[in-house]
Amino acid sequence: MIPLEHFCLLSAFLFCAGIYGALTRRNAIGILISIELILNAANINLVAFNKYLGTNDGLGQAPTVPSGQVFALFVVAIAAAASVVGLVLIIAIYRHAKSLFTEGFHLMKE
Amino acid sequence: MSEMLFYPLAASVCIFAGLAVTQKNVFHCALYLAMVLLSIAGIYFYLDAPFLGVIQILVYVGGIITLFVFAIKLTAHIEDKVIRQTSQQWVPSLMITGILLCVLFRFFSQNPWANPNLGKPTTLAQLGNFLMTNYAVPFEFISLLLLAAMVGAIVIGKVKK
Repeated sequence: MIPLEHFCLLSAFLFCAGIYGALTRRNAIGILISIELILNAANINLVAFNKYLGTNDGLGQAPTVPSGQVFALFVVAIAAAASVVGLVLIIAIYRHAKSLFTEGFHLMKE
Repeated sequence: MSEMLFYPLAASVCIFAGLAVTQKNVFHCALYLAMVLLSIAGIYFYLDAPFLGVIQILVYVGGIITLFVFAIKLTAHIEDKVIRQTSQQWVPSLMITGILLCVLFRFFSQNPWANPNLGKPTTLAQLGNFLMTNYAVPFEFISLLLLAAMVGAIVIGKVKK
Protein backbone atom coordinates (compact mmCIF):
# COMPACT_ATOMS: atom_id res chain seq x y z
CA MET A 1 0.00 0.00 0.00
CA ILE A 2 1.25 3.46 -0.90
CA PRO A 3 1.97 5.45 2.29
CA LEU A 4 -0.08 8.58 2.81
CA GLU A 5 3.06 10.74 2.81
CA HIS A 6 3.64 10.06 -0.87
CA PHE A 7 0.33 11.67 -1.73
CA CYS A 8 1.28 14.62 0.45
CA LEU A 9 4.64 14.93 -1.31
CA LEU A 10 3.01 14.79 -4.74
CA SER A 11 0.51 17.42 -3.70
CA ALA A 12 3.26 19.61 -2.20
CA PHE A 13 5.23 19.47 -5.45
CA LEU A 14 2.14 20.33 -7.50
CA PHE A 15 1.32 23.21 -5.14
CA CYS A 16 4.84 24.63 -5.36
CA ALA A 17 4.83 24.35 -9.17
CA GLY A 18 1.57 26.28 -9.19
CA ILE A 19 2.91 28.94 -6.83
CA TYR A 20 6.03 29.33 -8.98
CA GLY A 21 3.93 29.72 -12.12
CA ALA A 22 1.55 32.20 -10.52
CA LEU A 23 4.47 34.30 -9.27
CA THR A 24 6.56 34.34 -12.42
CA ARG A 25 4.15 34.36 -15.35
CA ARG A 26 3.67 37.57 -17.28
CA ASN A 27 0.79 36.11 -19.21
CA ALA A 28 -2.59 36.25 -17.44
CA ILE A 29 -3.73 32.94 -18.96
CA GLY A 30 -0.55 31.34 -17.64
CA ILE A 31 -1.42 32.59 -14.16
CA LEU A 32 -4.88 30.99 -14.44
CA ILE A 33 -3.27 27.69 -15.50
CA SER A 34 -1.06 27.84 -12.38
CA ILE A 35 -4.08 28.49 -10.15
CA GLU A 36 -5.73 25.37 -11.56
CA LEU A 37 -2.61 23.40 -10.55
CA ILE A 38 -2.86 24.76 -6.98
CA LEU A 39 -6.53 23.78 -6.68
CA ASN A 40 -5.77 20.29 -7.96
CA ALA A 41 -3.01 19.89 -5.37
CA ALA A 42 -5.59 20.59 -2.66
CA ASN A 43 -7.96 18.09 -4.24
CA ILE A 44 -5.42 15.26 -4.23
CA ASN A 45 -4.88 15.80 -0.51
CA LEU A 46 -8.62 15.83 0.22
CA VAL A 47 -9.27 12.56 -1.61
CA ALA A 48 -6.17 10.80 -0.24
CA PHE A 49 -6.93 11.74 3.37
CA ASN A 50 -10.53 10.69 2.88
CA LYS A 51 -9.46 7.24 1.70
CA TYR A 52 -6.82 6.68 4.38
CA LEU A 53 -8.42 8.28 7.44
CA GLY A 54 -12.09 8.44 6.53
CA THR A 55 -13.67 5.61 8.52
CA ASN A 56 -15.82 6.11 11.57
CA ASP A 57 -14.67 3.14 13.64
CA GLY A 58 -11.09 2.15 14.23
CA LEU A 59 -11.50 -1.28 12.67
CA GLY A 60 -12.00 -0.37 9.05
CA GLN A 61 -15.31 -2.22 8.89
CA ALA A 62 -17.66 0.73 8.46
CA PRO A 63 -17.94 2.36 5.04
CA THR A 64 -15.80 5.43 4.46
CA VAL A 65 -17.56 8.72 5.08
CA PRO A 66 -17.09 10.55 1.76
CA SER A 67 -16.63 14.06 3.13
CA GLY A 68 -13.33 14.55 1.32
CA GLN A 69 -14.80 13.51 -2.01
CA VAL A 70 -17.73 15.90 -1.53
CA PHE A 71 -15.34 18.73 -0.75
CA ALA A 72 -13.26 17.83 -3.81
CA LEU A 73 -16.42 18.02 -5.93
CA PHE A 74 -17.10 21.48 -4.53
CA VAL A 75 -13.54 22.53 -5.31
CA VAL A 76 -13.95 21.32 -8.92
CA ALA A 77 -17.18 23.34 -9.27
CA ILE A 78 -15.61 26.47 -7.80
CA ALA A 79 -12.53 26.06 -10.02
CA ALA A 80 -14.80 25.86 -13.06
CA ALA A 81 -16.63 29.04 -12.02
CA ALA A 82 -13.38 30.84 -11.24
CA SER A 83 -11.74 29.96 -14.55
CA VAL A 84 -14.86 30.96 -16.52
CA VAL A 85 -15.01 34.39 -14.90
CA GLY A 86 -11.23 34.79 -15.05
CA LEU A 87 -11.00 33.97 -18.75
CA VAL A 88 -13.89 36.29 -19.60
CA LEU A 89 -12.22 39.08 -17.62
CA ILE A 90 -8.96 38.42 -19.48
CA ILE A 91 -10.73 38.60 -22.85
CA ALA A 92 -12.49 41.85 -21.81
CA ILE A 93 -9.19 43.39 -20.70
CA TYR A 94 -7.54 42.19 -23.91
CA ARG A 95 -10.19 44.01 -25.96
CA HIS A 96 -9.44 47.19 -24.03
CA ALA A 97 -5.67 47.07 -23.54
CA LYS A 98 -4.70 44.90 -26.56
CA SER A 99 -2.30 43.02 -24.31
CA LEU A 100 -2.32 40.00 -22.05
CA PHE A 101 0.74 40.82 -20.00
CA THR A 102 0.14 41.72 -16.40
CA GLU A 103 2.40 44.76 -16.36
CA GLY A 104 0.03 46.33 -18.92
CA PHE A 105 -2.98 46.02 -16.61
CA HIS A 106 -3.13 49.45 -15.01
CA LEU A 107 -6.51 50.55 -16.25
CA MET A 108 -7.63 51.77 -12.83
CA LYS A 109 -4.65 54.06 -12.32
CA GLU A 110 -5.59 56.50 -15.04
CA MET B 1 -5.85 -1.76 -9.11
CA SER B 2 -2.14 -2.33 -9.19
CA GLU B 3 -0.19 -0.37 -6.63
CA MET B 4 2.69 0.30 -8.95
CA LEU B 5 0.37 2.32 -11.18
CA PHE B 6 0.57 5.20 -8.72
CA TYR B 7 4.20 6.08 -9.28
CA PRO B 8 4.06 6.46 -13.08
CA LEU B 9 0.94 8.61 -12.63
CA ALA B 10 2.67 10.75 -9.99
CA ALA B 11 5.75 11.10 -12.20
CA SER B 12 3.66 12.21 -15.15
CA VAL B 13 1.83 14.72 -12.89
CA CYS B 14 5.15 16.20 -11.75
CA ILE B 15 6.75 16.31 -15.22
CA PHE B 16 3.76 17.84 -16.97
CA ALA B 17 3.15 20.32 -14.12
CA GLY B 18 6.75 21.47 -14.41
CA LEU B 19 6.35 21.85 -18.16
CA ALA B 20 3.02 23.66 -17.79
CA VAL B 21 4.53 26.42 -15.65
CA THR B 22 7.81 26.85 -17.52
CA GLN B 23 7.06 26.52 -21.23
CA LYS B 24 7.01 29.67 -23.34
CA ASN B 25 4.15 28.74 -25.66
CA VAL B 26 0.88 29.21 -23.77
CA PHE B 27 -1.05 26.88 -26.05
CA HIS B 28 1.38 24.07 -25.21
CA CYS B 29 0.99 24.96 -21.53
CA ALA B 30 -2.76 24.41 -21.78
CA LEU B 31 -2.16 20.99 -23.35
CA TYR B 32 0.35 20.08 -20.61
CA LEU B 33 -2.27 21.16 -18.07
CA ALA B 34 -4.70 18.74 -19.74
CA MET B 35 -2.14 15.95 -19.27
CA VAL B 36 -1.70 16.88 -15.59
CA LEU B 37 -5.45 16.78 -15.05
CA LEU B 38 -5.79 13.41 -16.81
CA SER B 39 -3.04 11.94 -14.62
CA ILE B 40 -4.78 13.30 -11.52
CA ALA B 41 -7.99 11.64 -12.71
CA GLY B 42 -6.02 8.38 -12.80
CA ILE B 43 -4.90 9.00 -9.22
CA TYR B 44 -8.55 9.49 -8.23
CA PHE B 45 -9.39 6.13 -9.79
CA TYR B 46 -6.56 4.60 -7.80
CA LEU B 47 -7.92 6.21 -4.61
CA ASP B 48 -11.34 4.52 -4.98
CA ALA B 49 -13.03 7.72 -6.11
CA PRO B 50 -14.15 6.79 -9.64
CA PHE B 51 -16.98 9.33 -9.70
CA LEU B 52 -14.53 12.13 -8.94
CA GLY B 53 -12.19 10.87 -11.67
CA VAL B 54 -15.00 10.91 -14.23
CA ILE B 55 -16.03 14.40 -13.07
CA GLN B 56 -12.40 15.51 -13.35
CA ILE B 57 -12.20 14.31 -16.97
CA LEU B 58 -15.61 15.73 -17.89
CA VAL B 59 -15.37 19.13 -16.22
CA TYR B 60 -11.66 19.87 -16.39
CA VAL B 61 -10.41 18.20 -19.54
CA GLY B 62 -13.70 18.53 -21.38
CA GLY B 63 -14.74 21.96 -20.18
CA ILE B 64 -12.02 24.08 -18.67
CA ILE B 65 -9.25 23.09 -21.11
CA THR B 66 -11.62 23.88 -23.98
CA LEU B 67 -12.22 27.29 -22.43
CA PHE B 68 -8.48 27.87 -22.09
CA VAL B 69 -7.90 26.90 -25.73
CA PHE B 70 -10.69 29.23 -26.86
CA ALA B 71 -9.31 32.09 -24.76
CA ILE B 72 -5.80 31.54 -26.15
CA LYS B 73 -7.08 31.44 -29.72
CA LEU B 74 -9.34 34.49 -29.25
CA THR B 75 -6.49 36.62 -27.94
CA ALA B 76 -4.28 36.51 -30.98
CA HIS B 77 -0.49 36.59 -31.28
CA ILE B 78 0.17 35.77 -27.64
CA GLU B 79 1.61 32.37 -28.51
CA ASP B 80 4.45 34.12 -30.22
CA LYS B 81 7.62 32.40 -29.14
CA VAL B 82 9.87 35.43 -29.10
CA ILE B 83 7.86 37.14 -26.34
CA ARG B 84 9.38 36.66 -22.90
CA GLN B 85 6.86 34.87 -20.67
CA THR B 86 8.41 35.13 -17.22
CA SER B 87 8.62 38.27 -15.15
CA GLN B 88 11.86 39.78 -13.88
CA GLN B 89 11.23 38.44 -10.39
CA TRP B 90 11.67 34.80 -11.36
CA VAL B 91 14.85 34.31 -9.30
CA PRO B 92 13.35 35.34 -5.92
CA SER B 93 10.16 33.46 -6.85
CA LEU B 94 12.17 30.32 -7.53
CA MET B 95 14.01 30.74 -4.20
CA ILE B 96 10.77 31.21 -2.24
CA THR B 97 9.16 28.23 -3.93
CA GLY B 98 12.24 26.08 -3.39
CA ILE B 99 12.38 26.95 0.32
CA LEU B 100 8.66 26.18 0.67
CA LEU B 101 9.10 22.86 -1.13
CA CYS B 102 12.07 21.89 1.08
CA VAL B 103 10.13 22.73 4.25
CA LEU B 104 7.11 20.71 3.11
CA PHE B 105 9.26 17.73 2.04
CA ARG B 106 11.12 17.71 5.35
CA PHE B 107 7.87 17.94 7.27
CA PHE B 108 6.20 15.09 5.41
CA SER B 109 9.22 12.81 5.44
CA GLN B 110 9.87 13.32 9.16
CA ASN B 111 6.28 12.92 10.38
CA PRO B 112 4.88 9.69 8.98
CA TRP B 113 1.27 8.94 9.72
CA ALA B 114 0.37 5.94 11.81
CA ASN B 115 -0.77 2.79 10.07
CA PRO B 116 -4.07 3.74 8.45
CA ASN B 117 -7.01 1.36 8.53
CA LEU B 118 -8.82 1.52 5.25
CA GLY B 119 -12.60 1.36 5.27
CA LYS B 120 -14.68 -0.05 2.50
CA PRO B 121 -14.66 2.16 -0.57
CA THR B 122 -17.59 4.47 -0.96
CA THR B 123 -20.23 3.57 -3.51
CA LEU B 124 -21.76 6.17 -5.77
CA ALA B 125 -25.13 5.75 -4.04
CA GLN B 126 -23.56 6.58 -0.67
CA LEU B 127 -21.82 9.60 -2.14
CA GLY B 128 -25.05 10.93 -3.67
CA ASN B 129 -26.96 10.26 -0.46
CA PHE B 130 -24.33 12.11 1.53
CA LEU B 131 -24.33 15.01 -0.89
CA MET B 132 -28.08 15.44 -0.75
CA THR B 133 -28.49 15.06 3.02
CA ASN B 134 -25.45 16.26 5.00
CA TYR B 135 -24.21 18.72 2.39
CA ALA B 136 -27.51 19.77 0.80
CA VAL B 137 -27.17 23.47 1.65
CA PRO B 138 -23.59 23.86 0.30
CA PHE B 139 -24.70 21.93 -2.79
CA GLU B 140 -27.45 24.46 -3.44
CA PHE B 141 -25.02 27.31 -2.83
CA ILE B 142 -22.66 25.81 -5.42
CA SER B 143 -25.45 25.78 -7.99
CA LEU B 144 -26.21 29.41 -7.14
CA LEU B 145 -22.50 30.25 -7.54
CA LEU B 146 -22.38 28.54 -10.94
CA LEU B 147 -25.45 30.46 -12.08
CA ALA B 148 -23.90 33.74 -10.90
CA ALA B 149 -20.65 32.90 -12.70
CA MET B 150 -22.53 32.12 -15.90
CA VAL B 151 -24.54 35.36 -15.83
CA GLY B 152 -21.46 37.36 -14.84
CA ALA B 153 -19.43 35.85 -17.69
CA ILE B 154 -22.12 36.79 -20.21
CA VAL B 155 -22.38 40.35 -18.84
CA ILE B 156 -18.62 40.94 -18.73
CA GLY B 157 -17.93 39.32 -22.08
CA LYS B 158 -20.60 41.25 -23.97
CA VAL B 159 -19.24 43.75 -26.47
CA LYS B 160 -20.56 47.18 -25.56
CA LYS B 161 -21.95 49.15 -28.47
